[in-house]
Amino acid sequence: MSLYDLAPTAEDAGIHIQNLTVSYDTDRGRFNALKNVTLDIRPRHITGFIGESGSGKTTLAMAMMNAIQPPGRIDGGAILLDGAGDVLQLRGEPLRRLRGRYFGFVFQASSNSLNPLKRVGAQLMDLGRSHGISDLRGLLREAKALAERIGLDGDRVLTSYQHELSGGMRQRVGLVFALVLKARILILDEPTTALDMLTQQAVLEIVRSIHQEQGLTTIVITHDMGVVAEMADRVVVMYAGRVVEEGPTFSLLTNPQHPYTQGLIRAIPRITGNLDDAKPLPGSPPDLATIPTKGCVFRERCYARTSVCDTVDPVPTSAHGDGLVMCHGVDAS
Amino acid sequence: MIAEQLPQPTTSAATLRRPSFLSIAWRVISARPSRMLGLAIIVFFALMAIVGPFLYPHNLPINPNAIYAPPSLRYPLGTDFEGTSNLALIVTGARYVLFAALMAALFTVFFGTSIGLVSGYFLGPTDTILMRITDFILTIPGFPLLVVLSTVWNFGQPIAMGFVLGITGWGGLARAVRSQTLSLRERGFVEAARGLGLPWWHIVFQEILPNIGPYIAMNLLVSITGGIYAEVGLFYLGVVPFHVNNWGVMLNLAVFTGGALQSPQALPYLLSPLVCILLLTLGVVLFLDAMDEMFNPRLREG
Amino acid sequence: MIEARNLVKTFPARGGLLAQKAVQAVKGVSFVIPDGGAVAFIGESGCGKTTIGRILSGFETYDSGEIYYNGEDLSALPPRTRQERLRKVQLIQQDPYAALNPARTIYQSLAAPLSWEAKRRHKEKGWIERRAREVLELVGLNPDVVLGKYPHMLSGGQRQRIVIARALTVEPDVLVADEAISMIDVSLRLGILTLLQTLRRDYGIALLFITHDIAAARYIGHDGRMYVIYQGEIVEEASTDELIRSPVHPYSQALLSAVPVLRGLERPGQDRYIPLGEFSVTETSGCRFAPRCRFAHDLCQKEKPPLIPWEQEDHRHACHFPTPRRVVAEPLEGHS
Repeated sequence: MSLYDLAPTAEDAGIHIQNLTVSYDTDRGRFNALKNVTLDIRPRHITGFIGESGSGKTTLAMAMMNAIQPPGRIDGGAILLDGAGDVLQLRGEPLRRLRGRYFGFVFQASSNSLNPLKRVGAQLMDLGRSHGISDLRGLLREAKALAERIGLDGDRVLTSYQHELSGGMRQRVGLVFALVLKARILILDEPTTALDMLTQQAVLEIVRSIHQEQGLTTIVITHDMGVVAEMADRVVVMYAGRVVEEGPTFSLLTNPQHPYTQGLIRAIPRITGNLDDAKPLPGSPPDLATIPTKGCVFRERCYARTSVCDTVDPVPTSAHGDGLVMCHGVDAS
Repeated sequence: MIAEQLPQPTTSAATLRRPSFLSIAWRVISARPSRMLGLAIIVFFALMAIVGPFLYPHNLPINPNAIYAPPSLRYPLGTDFEGTSNLALIVTGARYVLFAALMAALFTVFFGTSIGLVSGYFLGPTDTILMRITDFILTIPGFPLLVVLSTVWNFGQPIAMGFVLGITGWGGLARAVRSQTLSLRERGFVEAARGLGLPWWHIVFQEILPNIGPYIAMNLLVSITGGIYAEVGLFYLGVVPFHVNNWGVMLNLAVFTGGALQSPQALPYLLSPLVCILLLTLGVVLFLDAMDEMFNPRLREG
Repeated sequence: MIEARNLVKTFPARGGLLAQKAVQAVKGVSFVIPDGGAVAFIGESGCGKTTIGRILSGFETYDSGEIYYNGEDLSALPPRTRQERLRKVQLIQQDPYAALNPARTIYQSLAAPLSWEAKRRHKEKGWIERRAREVLELVGLNPDVVLGKYPHMLSGGQRQRIVIARALTVEPDVLVADEAISMIDVSLRLGILTLLQTLRRDYGIALLFITHDIAAARYIGHDGRMYVIYQGEIVEEASTDELIRSPVHPYSQALLSAVPVLRGLERPGQDRYIPLGEFSVTETSGCRFAPRCRFAHDLCQKEKPPLIPWEQEDHRHACHFPTPRRVVAEPLEGHS
């Protein structure tokens, strides 16, 4: 099914999440941002995490790097990284080294993750130093090559300050930072949210080609089904801290099982076809404080709600060949 | 259409009528014991300032047999150089000190806020002129000015003292408020208000001002303690003629005529106003932490 | 009706340490917003479309050109009167988080413009609250639930509805929606679009939709008109359906190509192409898009193409070599 079904090598970094529960401490009490998430993220695939704000998709990505910050807390579960063991057992220096070796993280396009007072090149050297790289000159050379590869003027960018770069350029610089240390796993958090469509497509194109070329494990976090449809091999649909559906992109888009997935796909204004086919998704995004503790978390917004949804938690059912769906409606049929 | 209606409807009367400010304030303050303590201290001194002078005769009795007496049942805080009860001096002296400090703080906040707001909102020539004045105020050395003024002005009235302290002290606040206004005026809601055709005074005082409310409230409290220090300091140094009994006068007399720094006998005379000032400052600092929550709706109801 | 002719806006140069050159953001743009019509300005960030929206809603002045509002030439009016006229043109900002005052309740935010309205029209006291409830219901919110709330207690979609409700308090003729859905969860965007559509249909409020998302623009008014803007100039204009069906300018084609394709449900257009180059403002005597255009010839570098009709009078383009290309995704059978 996958586009590049190569034999796994020692470098392939798959991630196996088992029963992960993460909670946040707030004024109003302790809430689960993730609850019993079990998921395999395949090496050499682009996996898209999709969900509204509050669905836990960013929390999941942070948990994979064991980077949940207080007031968040990992309550249980394991994250097994191929060739490195359980990430959640690591602390301090070994954890930092593992993050540096495996993960490249690109922040939201809208957020200014660069230091406004330092030139990009100087920040890159800081990054290299903190990862114990002795050949900083080589690092800069590689960064420049990488930058040019993705349509930037390498010399110009490395000597620029953050404010001298446009949104699309900053996002590309973020990519350079994430990739120059030879990360095996590339995590992009809302990589295109603040960008216009043309820039979005350009960034996606770049990610896609680098992913393929370097055989990465890429994770794209987004609330935009369009982004996922454009580039992901597999899609994980999240709602209120649960994985509600998971499977290959093609199958998930053509034959969505969960009412939430169906709603998300229907809610996209399309450039062709019948205008009336698009329907808004009813209700508001989940609020951690008010999601029910028992039964299906999506039932308030679901068109197919039955009495069983109120009382019984849905269990994962196999779907899309090697994927899964969590819905009572699917169980029944 | 009705895509995002929230499920639970409440009664219409309850939605418009927000809980009153006092009830919100009480909830915020009672949430932490430290805030309660701070409030208690402030209320205690406020009461002392209001009621104090009525508790004692206008001319406090002197007692030549109990000069610099140590604390006792009759004189809980000891006595001064004429055998007057220190407690009586503290209680009757509180009104001048606190009232002058309050006046100073109100003047500071009033001038600082309105000049900062107007300057930051209008920019252009208005801003230039107001900021020149502010810079001028900032460069006036307040202390020497007071010394000079005291030769021509009678500081027997606390409001005069408060006015002078306030008029020399608003520069910093005006600059700070202006810079906050500068950033707020670029925000979408200010622009929207302009687009809706709302007049400038509405935008400045109803849209921008509430957003710097917590900052101004904190400044008011801090200015009060600042005012106390300044005036007590003036009296202590003796640069302002004493017309009335107050804490600063006590400090001055304890040190310069009682020799409290050399001999222990005048120590109670020195310590009682000092401890009062420290206690009041403590109360303000403890209470300060409630201000942000009281005026900031985001913190108020999570 | 609003008619703009040859609108020009230059932002003055900034001196000092951070010296910047004067930027001509809008370079002679003409367009018409009919009563109750739907007009979309399409382009990348930085192309000047936002500036046009801000001129129309009275936040910016313009250097030259004319704006006729219901036949009256606004350029001749003193600034104050002009702004008063443009009150009926309300801007819906991109960021619903910044557009509402965090220190005021929804009721306070709505009551402020309403109380001025009440004064002007000599309405009694109860009118303000009645009207506040009315506009909230109009935008699909339950007044009992939201009136007493602060903005931070609401979702992005709800906030944007409130921003729209606030604009409705002045009974506008035109709503200028500047990227009004780009900061809202995708799942809630369609709800806002539907709302704008309803306001147009039921209340005859004209819409100026400023966006880089052509699919959303189509949704709001497929019977409307679309202007594609590149570096402050209109490079192609046509009715919305016509422009999506047969764009002839390579830039319009690039924008249409950039709309994500839902694989499995849609097939990408066979001529789809995405220019990788960055948007940069360079002065040229030729076509401004030429440096990024894959179809550019020598002529394009030298000579500036005029805005001329293509086949029909109301489909106009500014390209030396207009060519229809199939760049828009097509629905697959069975998944229309």
